[in-house]
Amino acid sequence: MSSLAVTNVSVAFGGVHALSDVSLAVDAGQIVGVIGPNGAGKTTLLNVICGVSRPDRGDVTLHGTIITGWKPSRIAGLGLGRTFQTSQLFPGMTVLENLMTGLHLRGHTGLIAAAFRTPSMKREEAEMRERALAALDFVGMRAFAGRSGTALSFGQQRVVEIARTLIGEPKILLLDEPAVGLSVPRVAELDTLLRRIRDERGVTLVMIEHVIRLVMGVSDRVIVMNSGRKIAEGRPDDIRRNPDVIEAYLGRQGDARRPAP
Amino acid sequence: MRAVVSHRALLVVLFAVLAVLPVVANQYTLFVGNLLMLYMILALGLNLLVGFAGQLAFANAAMYGIGAYGAALLQVRLGLSYWLAAPCGAVLAMAIGTLLAFPALRLSGIYLALATLAFAQFTQWVLLHWNSVTFGAGGFPVPQPEFSALGMSPDRGIYYVSWVVTVVLLAFAWRVVRSRVGRAFVAMRDREMAAQALGVGLLRYKAMAFALSGFYAGTAGALYPAVLAYVSPEGFDLFQMVLHKAMIVVGGMGSIAGSVIGASLLVYLLEVLRQFKATQEIVFGALLLAFVLFQPRGLVDFLKRSVPGWSEPLHYASDSESAFDVAVADELVTGSRGGADR
Repeated sequence: MSSLAVTNVSVAFGGVHALSDVSLAVDAGQIVGVIGPNGAGKTTLLNVICGVSRPDRGDVTLHGTIITGWKPSRIAGLGLGRTFQTSQLFPGMTVLENLMTGLHLRGHTGLIAAAFRTPSMKREEAEMRERALAALDFVGMRAFAGRSGTALSFGQQRVVEIARTLIGEPKILLLDEPAVGLSVPRVAELDTLLRRIRDERGVTLVMIEHVIRLVMGVSDRVIVMNSGRKIAEGRPDDIRRNPDVIEAYLGRQGDARRPAP
Repeated sequence: MRAVVSHRALLVVLFAVLAVLPVVANQYTLFVGNLLMLYMILALGLNLLVGFAGQLAFANAAMYGIGAYGAALLQVRLGLSYWLAAPCGAVLAMAIGTLLAFPALRLSGIYLALATLAFAQFTQWVLLHWNSVTFGAGGFPVPQPEFSALGMSPDRGIYYVSWVVTVVLLAFAWRVVRSRVGRAFVAMRDREMAAQALGVGLLRYKAMAFALSGFYAGTAGALYPAVLAYVSPEGFDLFQMVLHKAMIVVGGMGSIAGSVIGASLLVYLLEVLRQFKATQEIVFGALLLAFVLFQPRGLVDFLKRSVPGWSEPLHYASDSESAFDVAVADELVTGSRGGADR
C-alpha cells in the first residue's frame, strides 16, 4: 500500500481545467519531485492533497484512509505536513514560538489548563520548548530562537518553516517550491537537508520544484505535469531522456540543465 | 534582575494604586477608577479577539450592553439577586458572542467588520424599541447590591468587586496568550492557511476567541448596573465601540499590557474632556487616526523600543535590529526567562 495516493482527480476553476484525471502514488520513504511549466497544475495538486481545494472528481487516500473533502487541520492530524511557496512564518512570534506552534497537534492545553497553569500544562510547555530547540538544532538555526521570523533571510525563513512543519512529525511532507529565491550554495544545503529528512526522520517527501538541478539530484522519482495532466513519471535519469518531457518542458534543444522559459 | 521597567512592574504598581484609591479618593474619583477597571476588562476582551485572534469584530459594545441589560433586567424584572443576575448576564453575552464565530468562519476583514457592526446596531435597536422588556430609550434605574454586612457603602463595595474581577481577568488573559491557545490565536491571525496546515482548527479557535471576548465584555456589562445604578441604551452605542477600539489601538494591538495602558490613557482623556463634551468624539477620532497612521502597533511598541527590559511574549518582535535585546534571546534559548514573567 502506498502512503499517499491520488486517484483520477480532476479540478476545474470555471472553464479552466487545472487538473484532468491525475493519478499518482507515493511510496513511503521516497522523495518525489513534481515538475512542470507554470500553470501545469502543480500547486493545485498540492492544495487538493492537503485539503485546501476540493476535487470535482477523484479521491485522495492517505495511509489507506480516503481524505477527500476533509478540512486541512484534520488532514494535518493524520500526519500530512506542508510548506508554502511564500514565507508563511507567523510574524507576530519569535522563531521559537513558531516552532512551538508546529507542535499544536501534539499538545492538549486548553483554556482551563492555561488559566490554572496546571503541572501538566507546565510540563507540556517545557517539553514543547525543548523539542522546538532540538528541531532548530536539526536545521542549524538554534541561535535564532529568540529572533523574529521577519528578521531572517529568505533562505533562513524557508528552513525554519520546514523545521516548523517537521516538528509535528508528519509522515508525509509536501514542499511547494522550497528552493525558490535561494542562491546556489543554499540550494545545495537544501539538497542535504531534504535527504536528511528522508533518511534520519523517515519522512516521505513530495516536492514541487522549478530548480531542475535540485529535483533531479535529490528525487527518487519524478512526476512531470503539463496543462493539468501527468505526462511522465519515473526515475530522474529516465525523465531526462523522455522525449515527451524534453519537448513539453525542457525545450526542443534537449538542454536538460536549463528549463525553457 | 535586568528589567528596569517591566510590563509586570507597571501593572503591579497600577493595581496597587487602584487598591488604595478608595481610602484616599473622593466619591467621584472612586467612580472614575471603577469605570476605568470596566474599560480595562472591555479592552482586554476586545484585544484577545481583534489583537490576538485577528478577528475584526465590531460587536464589543453590543456584548457589553447584553451583559449589562441581562444583569439589570434579571434583577428588575425577575427579582433575582445581583449575585445571581450578574454571572447570568456575562454568560448570556458569552453565548451570543460565540454565535458570531459562525459568520466569522466565512467572512474576514472588512466583511466581518460590517456583519458584526450590523449585529451591534440590531442590538441597539432592540434595546431602544423593545419597550415592554427593556424600558426603551430612557433606560431604567437598578438597585445597587448591598455591602452593609461588610460595613461598606455600595460604591466602595462594588469597587472592590471590580478590582478583584479585573485582576483575575487580567491574569487569565495573560496566561491564555502565553499558552498553546494563545499561539493558535496568533497563528490564525498571522497566516490562516499555515495555521490550518499545522492542525489549528479554525472553527474551534475562532469560537473560543469570540466566546472569551463576549465573556469579558459581558462581565464588564454585568458590573455596569452595580456601578452606575442605571442602565440605558446610549451607554452601549457606536461611540462606545469606537472608544474600545481606540483603547486597544492606542495601547497596542496584540498586547495585554497595551490593553490596560490604552484603557487608562483614554479614560483619563475622557475625564479631562468631559467638560467639553463635543470635543470628546473629535479627539478620540483624531487619536485613533493618528495611531493607525503613525504608530499602528500602539504605545507598547514604543515602550518596547525605548525601555530596556520591556518584553512581552507573543507580541510583534521589533523590526529594527538595534532594538533587539540579545540578552532576552539568550534567556529564551536557555529556557530561563528573566523575572519579567515568572
